[in-house]
Amino acid sequence: MSEAKDRELRALQAALAAEHAAVYGYGVVGGKIGDGRRAEAVTAYDAHRARRDALVREVKDLGGRPVAASAGYALPFAVPDAAAAVRFAAELEDRVAGVYADLVRAAADGRRALAAEALREAAVRAVRWRGGSVAFPGLAERAGTAPPSAAPTA
Amino acid sequence: MPFPPSPRARSGPRRRSLLAVAPAALALSGCTGGDSGGPAAASAADRARARAARDSEALVERYDAVIAARPGLTGRLRPLREEVVRHARAFGSDRKASPPASASASPSASASASPSPSPAVPGNDKEALAGLAAAERELADRRTKALGAVPGELARLLASVAAAGAAHVFLLTEGDA
Repeated sequence: MSEAKDRELRALQAALAAEHAAVYGYGVVGGKIGDGRRAEAVTAYDAHRARRDALVREVKDLGGRPVAASAGYALPFAVPDAAAAVRFAAELEDRVAGVYADLVRAAADGRRALAAEALREAAVRAVRWRGGSVAFPGLAERAGTAPPSAAPTA
Repeated sequence: MPFPPSPRARSGPRRRSLLAVAPAALALSGCTGGDSGGPAAASAADRARARAARDSEALVERYDAVIAARPGLTGRLRPLREEVVRHARAFGSDRKASPPASASASPSASASASPSPSPAVPGNDKEALAGLAAAERELADRRTKALGAVPGELARLLASVAAAGAAHVFLLTEGDA
């Protein structure tokens, strides 16, 4: 396998692992989110499942063995209520945006386009949850140099 | 198993490589007549980067025009405008992240940007926001389509900025709660 293909496969697997985590995470979100935003959480959950399934196919197309989901995941912070669930959902989208940005760099053509589209969707969902935007979704090295454009909303 | 590290938490060894390509883009964006017989050394990536800087500068001007015409929107638009300024600078623009200058025309940035007349601003807030949203969406779509033609690191930056543009569209159109 060429070095470029190997890089692409590793980035695909990282994206798949992040989508597995997002699907798990939205299960947690769905258990705590208030009625007012439950439909939004379900829509996001379905979107991540669809992305996960698409990534499984892409990994197989490249000759890889798709990484499996873990049985459980340690949450980055406690999610006891609806406000925390909203924060956690935004966090999930940030993480997914990061792996898709990396996949844009590693992939070519159709897979790059797929990654860019997924990055875009994650960025929009993050903004919906958070109520404010960030200048460079998914780019760790550019995060944190300026505050988000609006205060987080609970 | 822990969740994968947050983008915010990751350390940034990539910072160096991004900065490393910046001087070329800076030099290019400062040069006005790009195809006036200069050495054809400017790569396609440099041209794409310079174009992206100009596009973001033009978008900043649209924000400025709306803010000037509809001051009541300033609080809502200023944070988005600042992000677009940061986009332009990430692509090599030397535009400062200052508030819209009323009297002094910024000499260097407007020299390289196409000096199109300020777009007319619609007469009410809703239409003014819709106009900005349309401009953001058009640019984000164009950048997404152009990703295939640029090298990986620039594609990553372009895709992120396009995603930010799509998020701006949401905030400009449906984000009023």
